[in-house]
Amino acid sequence: MRHLITANVNGRERELSVKSNQTLLEVLRDDLRLKGTREGCSVGVCGSCTVLVDGKPVSSCLMLASNAEGKEVLTIEGLARDGNLDPVQQAFLDHQAFQCGFCTPGMIMAVKGLLNENPKPDEAEVRDYLSGNICRCGTYVEVMAAVEELTGKT
Amino acid sequence: MSAVGSSIPRVDGNAKVSGAAQYTADIELPGMLHAKALRSPYPHARLVSIDVSKAAAVPGVVAVVTRDDLEGLNPHYGAVVEDQPVLAMDRVRCVGDIVAAVAAEERDIAEEAVELIEVEYEPLPAVFDVVEAAQAGAPIIHDERFETQAAIFREQLNLNAGGNVCSVFRAADGDADAGFAESEEIFENTYRMPPVQHGHIEPHVATAVWESPNRLVVHTPCQNAVGLQEQLARIFNLPESGVRVVVPHVGGGYGGKTHARLEPVTALLARKAGRPVQWMLTREEVFLTGRRYGAFVRMKTGFKRDGSLVAREVEVFYDLGAYALSGPANAKTGSYVASGPYRVPNRRLTTYAVYTNLPPAGPYRGVGVPHVAWAYESEMDRIARHLGMDPVELRLKNLLQEGDAFVTGESLVSVGISDCLRQAASGIGWRGGEEQVDGAREGSLRRGKGLAVIMKSTTTPTASAASVRLNGDGSVMLLTSSTEMGQGVRTCLAQIVAEQLGVPVERVTVSAPDTDVTPYDKSTSSSRTTFHMGNAALRAAEDVREQLLEAGAEALEVDKTDLEMIADGVRVKGVPDRSLTVPQLLRVKYGDSVGSIFGSCNFQVKGGLDPKTGKGKAAAFWFFSACGAEVEVDVETGKVRVLNIATSVDVGKAINPLQCWLQNEGSMLEALGAAFFEEMVFEQGQPVNGTLLEYMLPSMQDHPERFQSLLVENPHPDGPFGAKGTGEAVIPAVAPAIGNAVANALGGVNITELPLRPERIVAALGETEAGGSGKNQP
Repeated sequence: MRHLITANVNGRERELSVKSNQTLLEVLRDDLRLKGTREGCSVGVCGSCTVLVDGKPVSSCLMLASNAEGKEVLTIEGLARDGNLDPVQQAFLDHQAFQCGFCTPGMIMAVKGLLNENPKPDEAEVRDYLSGNICRCGTYVEVMAAVEELTGKT
Repeated sequence: MSAVGSSIPRVDGNAKVSGAAQYTADIELPGMLHAKALRSPYPHARLVSIDVSKAAAVPGVVAVVTRDDLEGLNPHYGAVVEDQPVLAMDRVRCVGDIVAAVAAEERDIAEEAVELIEVEYEPLPAVFDVVEAAQAGAPIIHDERFETQAAIFREQLNLNAGGNVCSVFRAADGDADAGFAESEEIFENTYRMPPVQHGHIEPHVATAVWESPNRLVVHTPCQNAVGLQEQLARIFNLPESGVRVVVPHVGGGYGGKTHARLEPVTALLARKAGRPVQWMLTREEVFLTGRRYGAFVRMKTGFKRDGSLVAREVEVFYDLGAYALSGPANAKTGSYVASGPYRVPNRRLTTYAVYTNLPPAGPYRGVGVPHVAWAYESEMDRIARHLGMDPVELRLKNLLQEGDAFVTGESLVSVGISDCLRQAASGIGWRGGEEQVDGAREGSLRRGKGLAVIMKSTTTPTASAASVRLNGDGSVMLLTSSTEMGQGVRTCLAQIVAEQLGVPVERVTVSAPDTDVTPYDKSTSSSRTTFHMGNAALRAAEDVREQLLEAGAEALEVDKTDLEMIADGVRVKGVPDRSLTVPQLLRVKYGDSVGSIFGSCNFQVKGGLDPKTGKGKAAAFWFFSACGAEVEVDVETGKVRVLNIATSVDVGKAINPLQCWLQNEGSMLEALGAAFFEEMVFEQGQPVNGTLLEYMLPSMQDHPERFQSLLVENPHPDGPFGAKGTGEAVIPAVAPAIGNAVANALGGVNITELPLRPERIVAALGETEAGGSGKNQP
C-alpha cells in the first residue's frame, strides 16, 4: 500500500509516493537517489544513516517514510551552500576527522543536530551525544577536535 | 615543502565529507535486481533436498540458484585451500552456510521468496570448541582434502594435517627440552581469545553483471581485487581477463573484505538472471560471514632468576570455523612469533589451524598475532612479578636487537622495539619500582599500569606492480590495485609519487582498483601497501623521471646528470632559463606535443619459509610496536576506566604522520573493544549476539581519556624513503597492555581469557580472595 506524502527534503518541497513499510532511508536512497545517507546496521545503533528531521537527528533506517509527512528532512547532500561546505563539513575536513568515510555523513549530521540543540556542549556532552555514531576506524579524537573548533573551544 | 613526511590532508577528503563518495551500494546499474540468500539454520547437517518451485513462482523473482546451478563450474573456492562451495553441496557446515539465493526486482520480493524455499536437512554431530575439534574422534567437518591453486601456499604450508586440523606449522631452534632442563623456573599457563567481529560499518556488498557469456564485471569493496578476479575466473571457467573487478570507495575492511565472500553467489545469480544483481548483506549476515579466529594458547616458559628467558614451548589452536579462507597462512604468521619479540635460545612453536562448525573466520587486523601476544605478554608480567623485577627491565633484558638471528634463521633488520617500549612507558608515566607493584587505591578504586610489546611479519613473498602516467599537461596518474579503505593509501602513494617526480601532490591522482586497467597486486592486507606498492610506485615514477631526463638531455644537449626536475618539466641545474616543459619534452620524445610518458615497476620480494624446517625469510619487513595502558578498576563492580593509552610503532619513516596516528588510534580502539567487551557468543553453533544491538562496538564514550600515538622512525633499508607498514602494527599489543594494567591494579591477578568483562574481573578477585586461584602461580 502506498501513501502520498509531502515533505521538505534539503530545502525542496517533495511529493512522494511511499510504501507503508518503507523507511525514510529507503526513500532517500532508492527513490530520491540521495546516496550519501548510508545503511550500516538497520537497527538504529550505528548512526551512519543519521539525517535531521525538523532539526533533530534521526536514524533514518528506523523511521517510516510516511512519518515524514509535513516535516523538514536534511541530509548530507543538503548541507553545502553555493558550492561551499557547511562549517561542520569544513571542520571535519580541517581536522581529518574520518578515514573510510562511510560513517562520516551520519556523524556530520549528528554534530549538526548537537549544535542545533546545544551550541556550547562540554566534552562529556559531546561524547554522550555522539555515542550513537560508530566510527570503526576509530577517528574519535579528531571528531572531538572538529566539534571543539566549532564551539569555539580551540 | 617535501611531500613525504608531511601530514597533508587526505586526497579523498572532500568526497567523503560532502557525501559524494560512491560506495558499492550507491552504484545502481540499469535493470539491477536485488538478492537474498537462504542460509542454514543448522551447524552441521546433510542437505537432503531443496525445493525452490514456490520461490521461483513468486511474481518479480527472476532467478533462484542452488547447488544444481553449479554444474559444469568449479564449485569450490578458497584463498588457500579450495574448501568452500559457492552454494552448499552435500551438506552445510555452519549456521549461515548459503543453501540457495534469489534475485528479484525488489528486495522485499527476494526476501519473501527465500521464505518459500523448502529444504530438508538431516542434522549431523557438530563440534564447536577448537581444542575438541582437533582431537581424534571429533565429528569430521570436511571429508575430502583440498588442493590449493596458489603455489606460494603449496610450498609454504603443511596443509591437510588430518582430521579437522587443516594445517600445522612448526618453528623451532635450539633444544627446548634441554632449555627447560637448564631453566631455574618454569611457568606454564593457558590463554583464550574469543572470536570478534571486524565491524566494518559498510556491510559486505557486491554488484555483478555479465556483459557476455565470457565476461563478468563485479563491483565490490574488496581488499584484494586481483585475488578475487583469479577466484571468480576459476569458478566460472573464464580466463582472468574475462573477469573485471572494480573497487569503489570502501567503508572499512580491517581484513574482513580480503577474500571472496558473497561475490561468487552474486555472479551466479547475475548469470542465471541475465541482468545485473546487487547483494548487500544484512548486519546479521555479516556476523555469519567473517570474524577473527578464536584461539586457545598453551605456553610454557623456562627462565633464569636473573630474568633471562631460556626456553619456550607454545601450542596455538586457531578456530577457522567451517572454511579455511587464508587461515593456514594466518596461523603460520602466528607461529614463528609465538615466543614474542625476545631472544629465546631454545623454542618449539606450533600452530594448528582447525575447522569447527562455527561460521568461517578470516584475517582480521593483526591476523594470528594478537592471540599469541595476549599470552606471551601476560606471561612476561607474571614472570616479572614473580622475580620482583620491573616489567620494563625484564623486557629490555630479553628484547631482540638489530641483526639478531630470528627463529626462522633470518637476520632482523630495522628493529626499533626497545625504543618503542621506552616511548610507550614514558607515555604512561611509567616509573617502575613499588608504584608498579601495587597501584594507587581510593575506596574501591585501584589504579594500575601495564605494558606490552609485539612483533609481526608482513606476508612474504609477494609482488606489487604500479604504473605511473605523466600526461601532456604535467598531471600524473598512478595506476594501482591497492584498495583505499580508510587507511589513507591514496594519499600516501600520491605523496611518494609526487616526491619522486618533484611535483605538487595535488597534481597526482591515484586510481581505484580496476583489474581491466590496474596492474597486479597481491592484496591490500598485512600492512604491506606502503612498503610494497610504495616501492612499486616510487620506481614507476623513477622510470618516468628517467625518460623525462633523457628527453631533456637530448633536447638541451647536456648530460642527463646536469639536469634537474622542476614542477613543470626539467632544467639545467642552476640555469633557470634553460628548461623544458612537459609538452616540450613530449615533442622531443615523440615528435608531437601530445601523448603521455608511461613508467612501470613490478616490485617483488622473494622469501618464504620451508614448511619442513620453518626456516627461510618470513618477512620483507617486521613490525615492532609497544603499548602502555593506565586503568582504574572498581573492585566492587569490576568496571574499568581507561585513563591513558600510549602506543608506539617503529614505522621506519612516516610518509604521512597524521595518517599513521589515525591508523594507530583505530587499531587501539578495535583492540580496546576486544579487550573489554567484544566477543561473538555462540550456543551450539547459533549466534547469541549476532546484531549490533547485542554486540557493541566502541563508541566515543569508550575512548580512553587520553591517547597518544607515538612513532619511532628507524628507516628500513628496503622501504620507500625508509617506510614500513603501520596499519596493524599496534593492535596485538593493546589487549595485553590493558590486561597487564588491570592485573597490576588488582595486585597481580591475571585474567587469562578475554574480554575483561566486569563479572570476570569480580570473579577473578573472588577466586583470589578465597585462596583458590592457581592462576597466578608458575
